[in-house]
Amino acid sequence: MEDRGVALEVEDLTVAYSDQPVLWDIDLVVQAGDKMAIVGPNGAGKSTLIKAAMGLVPSVAGEVRVFGRPFAKGRGEIAYVPQRSSLEWDFPTDVLDVVTMGTYGSLGWFRRPGAAERDRARKALDEVTMGAFERRPIAQLSGGQQQRVLLARALVQEAPILMLDEPFQGVDAPTEQAIVAVLDRLSDDGKTVIVVHHDLQTVPEYFDSVLLLNVRAIESGPVGDVFTEENLRLTFGGRVGVLAQLAEAETGH
Amino acid sequence: MDFLGDYTLRIVALGSGVLGAAAGALGCFAYLRRQSLVGDALSHAALPGIALVFLLTGSKAPLPIMIGAALAGWIATLAVRLVVRRSRVPYDSALGMALAVFFGFGLVLLTLIQKRPDAAQAGLESFLFGQAASLLREDVVVMSALGAACLVVLALLWKEFKLLSFDTEFGESLGRPMRRLDGLFTLLLVVAVVIGLRTVGVVLMSAMVVAPAAAARQVTDRLAPMVIIAAAIGVFSGVTGAVLSSVIPHLPTGPTIVLVLSTVVVISLVFAPKRGLLWRWIRLGRLQPAAALDPVLMHLYALSLQHPEEPDHGHGLAVLRTMSPTGADLERVIGDLEARGLVSAVGEGLWAPTPIGRREAERNLDREGEVGS
Amino acid sequence: MTTKLQLLILVFALATVIGCGGGHQADQVQGPLRVVATTSIVGDLARSIGGDVIELDTLMGAGVDPHLYKPSAGDVRVMASAQMIVYSGLHLEGKMTEVLAEMGTRGVETVEVASCVPAESLLAVEGYDTLHDPHVWFDVGLWQHAAACLRDALIRVDPENANGYQERGDAVITEFADLDVWVRERVAALPENRRILVTAHDAFSYFGRAYGMEVRGLLGVSTAAEAGTGDVQALAAFIADRGLPAVFIESSVPPRYVEALTEAVVARGGDVLIGGSLYSDALGSPGGPAETYVGTVRANVDTIVGALSGAGQ
Repeated sequence: MEDRGVALEVEDLTVAYSDQPVLWDIDLVVQAGDKMAIVGPNGAGKSTLIKAAMGLVPSVAGEVRVFGRPFAKGRGEIAYVPQRSSLEWDFPTDVLDVVTMGTYGSLGWFRRPGAAERDRARKALDEVTMGAFERRPIAQLSGGQQQRVLLARALVQEAPILMLDEPFQGVDAPTEQAIVAVLDRLSDDGKTVIVVHHDLQTVPEYFDSVLLLNVRAIESGPVGDVFTEENLRLTFGGRVGVLAQLAEAETGH
Repeated sequence: MDFLGDYTLRIVALGSGVLGAAAGALGCFAYLRRQSLVGDALSHAALPGIALVFLLTGSKAPLPIMIGAALAGWIATLAVRLVVRRSRVPYDSALGMALAVFFGFGLVLLTLIQKRPDAAQAGLESFLFGQAASLLREDVVVMSALGAACLVVLALLWKEFKLLSFDTEFGESLGRPMRRLDGLFTLLLVVAVVIGLRTVGVVLMSAMVVAPAAAARQVTDRLAPMVIIAAAIGVFSGVTGAVLSSVIPHLPTGPTIVLVLSTVVVISLVFAPKRGLLWRWIRLGRLQPAAALDPVLMHLYALSLQHPEEPDHGHGLAVLRTMSPTGADLERVIGDLEARGLVSAVGEGLWAPTPIGRREAERNLDREGEVGS
Repeated sequence: MTTKLQLLILVFALATVIGCGGGHQADQVQGPLRVVATTSIVGDLARSIGGDVIELDTLMGAGVDPHLYKPSAGDVRVMASAQMIVYSGLHLEGKMTEVLAEMGTRGVETVEVASCVPAESLLAVEGYDTLHDPHVWFDVGLWQHAAACLRDALIRVDPENANGYQERGDAVITEFADLDVWVRERVAALPENRRILVTAHDAFSYFGRAYGMEVRGLLGVSTAAEAGTGDVQALAAFIADRGLPAVFIESSVPPRYVEALTEAVVARGGDVLIGGSLYSDALGSPGGPAETYVGTVRANVDTIVGALSGAGQ
C-alpha cells in the first residue's frame, strides 16, 4: 500500500464518565486509504473512541488531528455511521429522505435539499443496492436494509474518512457482502475506513490493519503483525492481562 | 346564524386556531423525540411565572404575563437538564418532579396573592383552565404574532429540527450546533404553550401539544404531511370548540376545544388505515386460526437457529414446503404470519422470523417443554 | 447521630408543634369576644353591631372574591381559635364549606347570616331547586334580617354585653331602613328604559328585584364558572338591542370579561362604555368612602345612576 499520508492521528486521548476511565491515553495513527478494524471486548470503549475522535463525546485529555490539522466538526472530513440500534426507526420518513440527510452538511442553514441532492442520494442508494427502496418508510426496513441506508447516508457526504460503528452486527449475508464491497471500493479510491468490528473471524479477511482496544490501546498496526494470539489474549483476557503487564512495567515483577 | 360575522366568535376562533396550529405543529417534534410530557411540564411550570409577574409589577397586560410564563417554563427546563446531568434521575422523572414543584409553588403564590385587593381583578385563577371567551383584540394580536413567528422559524429550520428529532448525533457529526437547536426548539415550545394559557389554561394545555401529533401519526408515514395534518387538527379543534361554545349556552370554550380534539384523536386511533385499531382487527379477523400458523413459524424458527449470527438469513418457500404438513396453503399462511408481524421478507422470496416471531416461537417451545427441534 | 439527622428531627418536631398549636377551643368568654368574619361585608356588620367589645378578624379584605377564596392554614388557625365565626353563607364562600362545617363540630359558634333571611324572599338559582342566590346584602331591606340575626347571636354567646349589642344592633337596623328608602328614590329617578344593570356576574339580582331594575350578569351566580362564547354573544346582542349606554365592572372580578363584552357590542354598532366599577362581593378599600357597608351601597348606587342617566341621549 502506497503511503498517502496520515489521515487520522489520535494522541493521548482519554475519556471518562464520572471519574471512571473509558478510554485511557490512546495513541493511534491511521494511514489514508487504510481499512482499519477496532476490536475489543464489551465495554472496551470502541464506540466511545470513534465518537470522541469526532467530538461527539467530551474528552478529558488528548488531541485528534485529521490530515495534519486539528479536527473541527463540520469540516466534512469524517462521515459517521452510527449503530443502528441507537436510532428510533419508527420515524415518519422514507429511505431516500434519510440518505438525503447526508447532504445537509453541504447545504447550510436555510436551504432545502433539491433535485441535485436527491440525485446524489439515489447514487449512494444504488451503491448499496437499495435503489428500489427509495420510497419505503424506514419503519418497514429489516436490520440489513437499515444498515445499508445508514451507509448510503455516509457515502453521500463524500468524506475522505468514514467511521462505522458495528455495521455488521445482526445483518444477513447479502448485506454483509454489499457493505464489504463498498468498503473495498472506498479504500481503493484512497478513502480511509475505520470500523468498530465485533467478529474476530473476519478481521483478517476484511481489513488491512487493526487496533486492539481495551480501555487502553493494546496494539495497532497491520493485521498480519498485530493480530496474534498473544495480543488477542491480552485484549480479551480481561483487564487482568493489561494490569499484569502494567504492574510488570512499573515494579519489574 | 352569521358565524363569521360575529365579532366575539371571530376573535375567539382566531385565537384558538392560532394556538391549535402552533401547538399542533411543534407538538409533532416533541412527540417524535418522545418528549410529549414536556408540553405538560412547561404549562404547569408557567403558573408561578404568571403569579410572580403580577406580584412584582401588578400588571395584567398580556405581554408581561406571557413573558413571565415563558421565563418560568424556561427555568423549569434548565432545572430538569441540571438534575438529569448531575444525578441518576431519568429524564421523565425529572420532568414530572419539575412539573409538580413549579405548579405547587404557583398554587402557593396564588393563595398568598388572593388576599390582595387587586388580585381578583387580575384573574390569575383563570389561567388554570383558561377563559377563551374573554379574549380581547390585543390578546389575539399578540398570540397571532407569536404563533406566526414560531411557524416561520419551524419552516426555516425544518431540516435541522428533522435531524434533531431523528438522529441528533449525526447532526452533531455534520457540525450542526445540536445543543443550541435543542434549546431553540424548547423555546418555541414554550412560546406555543404560553399562547395557549389564556385559551385552554395550564391544566389542559398539554393536550394541545400531544393530541394532534398522536392523531396525525396514525394517518401518515412522512414528516411534512404529519406536521401539516397535526396543525390542521389543532386549528379544526380550536375553531370548532369556539363555534360550539357560541352555539350552546354556558359551554366553556377551553374545555370544549380539548373535547373536540380528544374526539378527533379517538377517531384517528380507531379508524386510521393500516395503523388503526379497527383496520387491524378486520385484517386479523380474516386470518387463519393460530393453530395452522404455528408449525410454519416453528419451521422457520428452527431453520434460523442454523444461522445464529445472521438473524436475517432467509429461507424460501420451497424449503418450507418440504417441511410443512401436506395440504397447507403456504403462501396464505406466510401472508398471515407477516400480517401479524411474526415473519418478514428479507429478500426475493426469502422469509425469516422477526424478533416478535422469534419470541413467539420460543414461548411455544417453553409451553411444550421441547428442547431444540 | 449525625448533624443532618438531628436537624431533620428538629424540623419535624417544630412542624408538629406549630401544626398542633392552634387547635384550642374556647369554652368561655375571657376578655373581648373573639369573632372571625369571612367577607368584608359581613365583617363590617360584625363591627357595627359588636362595637369595641369584640375582637374582630376579617379574612377577606377589599377586592377579594369570596367565591374563589381558599382559606390558608393561617386562616384555619385563626378560625379555630375564635369563639364565633360569622359568614355570609348560601355557598357564597364556596371553597370554605368544609372548613366552616369542621369549625362547627369543634364547638366554635358559626353564624350564617344570609340564611336568616326569610326563605320565601330568597331567589333560587336558575336550574337548581335547592340552591339560592347568596347575594342578599344588596337588598338593604333583607339585610336587616341578617343584622337582627347577628345581634341575637352575639347576645346569646356573650350575654355580659347584651345591652350594647341590642343598642347597636337596633341602630344598625334603623340605619338600613333609611338607606333602603334612599336607594329606592334614587333608582326611581332613572328613566324607565335605562333601568338595566349589566355586570360581570349575577351579584345584583336581589338589588334588581328590590329596586326595580332588570339585571344581567355574564358569568352566573359564581365567578368560579367560565363564560362560554355564546354567553358573551347573547349578552352583547342584548346590550346592543336595548341601546344601553353603560355596563359595569366589579372590584372583585377581572374586568376583561366586561371589556370583551364591550368590544363585542361596539363591533355590533352599539355604543357602550364601562360606566364604572361596582363593589359586588366585597367592600371598598379601608380609608375610602366605601369602607363600610352603607358607604358601599351609596357608592354603588351613585355609580349606577350616574352612568345610566348621564351618558348620551
